[in-house]
Amino acid sequence: MMNVITMQCKAELRRIFRNPYYVFWSLILPIIFYYIFTRIVNTNPDDKGLWQAHYLMSMTTFSVMGSSIMTLGIRIVQERVHGWSTYMRITPLPEGVYFFGKMFGQSVMHLFSIIIIFTAGYLINGVSLTASQWILSGLWILIGCAPFLALGTLVGTMKKVDTASGVSNAIYMVLAVLGAMWFPLDSFPKGLQLVSKWLPSYNFGNGAWELIQGNAPSWDNILILSGYLVFFVVLSTYIRKKQEVV
Amino acid sequence: MDTIVEMKNITKQFKNKKAVDNISFSIDKGSIVAILGPNGAGKTTVISMLLGLIKPTQGTVQVMGKDPRDIEVRQRIGAMLQEVSVMDALKVHELINLIRSYYPRPLDIDQLIPLTGLQKEDLNRYANKLSGGQKRRLGFALALAGNPDLIFLDEPTVGLDVTARRVFWEQVRSLTQQGKTILFTTHYLPEAEDYADRVILFDQGVIIADGTPDDIKSKLTVSSISFKSDDPDLCSFLLTLPNVHDVYEKEGRIYTVTEDTDGILASIFEHKLAVRDIRVEHGRLDDAFEQLTTHPEMDTKGAAIS
Repeated sequence: MMNVITMQCKAELRRIFRNPYYVFWSLILPIIFYYIFTRIVNTNPDDKGLWQAHYLMSMTTFSVMGSSIMTLGIRIVQERVHGWSTYMRITPLPEGVYFFGKMFGQSVMHLFSIIIIFTAGYLINGVSLTASQWILSGLWILIGCAPFLALGTLVGTMKKVDTASGVSNAIYMVLAVLGAMWFPLDSFPKGLQLVSKWLPSYNFGNGAWELIQGNAPSWDNILILSGYLVFFVVLSTYIRKKQEVV
Repeated sequence: MDTIVEMKNITKQFKNKKAVDNISFSIDKGSIVAILGPNGAGKTTVISMLLGLIKPTQGTVQVMGKDPRDIEVRQRIGAMLQEVSVMDALKVHELINLIRSYYPRPLDIDQLIPLTGLQKEDLNRYANKLSGGQKRRLGFALALAGNPDLIFLDEPTVGLDVTARRVFWEQVRSLTQQGKTILFTTHYLPEAEDYADRVILFDQGVIIADGTPDDIKSKLTVSSISFKSDDPDLCSFLLTLPNVHDVYEKEGRIYTVTEDTDGILASIFEHKLAVRDIRVEHGRLDDAFEQLTTHPEMDTKGAAIS
């Protein structure tokens, strides 16, 4: 059994790291944005160091949120469309191991993204945080992306790869912008700020933004993210069960 | 002999089509059985039910005495499905070893590779970059990876050329010598004839014939005597003769369908029937198969669920 789990995790990892889109969407794009909004566009922040750390968290959460929704979701659709999921059902591999392999692969990928983007922040702007701030914000991002992984499995119930890729891209971008990952919340009109505070993306980002200021993520953040996690898991399980009936 | 597969009174109703209609059959351990039929006959539906991928609307399916979805069954079967494209971004040897790890007693990789006809250099290529024929070979390798006792092959040779087909079936034959049971579907008659011990002929969701290839052949092959005649009572007389299955008129000739052409000829001369221009015709097996399974009224597009 141990061997199966190891093999499954290894296979998932290989597939993720051999995917060229991953390198672009999850690593290069957030780092380019980071460079642009901290070095080229002058935002005149009150506290330059804080802004650079804040925006580093924005871009890391942006990256991890994207791979949770898109990489996972599109991959699940691909596996079904190409008949691979059907094949897996006739093998003795327990569904749980398959799922675990996927989540393990995603988590290692996220950890890798976090390390690379944090390093880029340090190299580009010399962002300096305490060791515990680096570690805690990294952990927050690693664990806090769970609702987006669940959203990814929801995207995974779509019938066509093109639909899944289009829809997940749109959701991703809307969540990123409205969740204040690209522009800070203060720059939003009041009404919009209220909407943002209820979005999973804002709460995901805010946990990390709090941590780099030496605060703990607020209970609001944790509760709202947990709520979305439960909602997406239930919805995705329900749709999957409905699709399975033949 | 031990029964390894059993289907009892199975019906499968899809939304707008009855794919399989109250069929029953069982398969003995160690045999190689062909499910033969045209597209839309219900072959893939039958295989999918045996694999536990879809549930029958009515009836019971048992594989090795258990529900096909039982983990113990899964550990002892292998299957090559239609249109399985393989996981992307994995190399052939990585994929084979991954699948092998799922099974308690996998086939040794050095034994597995020669069986599939994959070349050494193919093993290091990405699985999704293989050609169509090589993908089928990989599909076969994956079906055998767990060293299964029962192997399902759904249209296994589609897209293979004649030589590749022959090599493929030689490998399958060698598997039956190890006591494995093989169930394959095909719409290609000679394949069923040449390689199966038993042929189950499907058409429109029902079994229309079941037996050894020779049985099927004699059942399918039709001989007839045809001639011209002006005698209006001839047809009814011919039908009274022994071994006559059918009499019909086509393009001005009267056809008498029988397996005993010599006997009928003797009767014709004995009774001095007013016939001329006699011809004896032995229907070819291919034609008979086609005739048996072609339904001009059937919309071929409706046959998508095969």
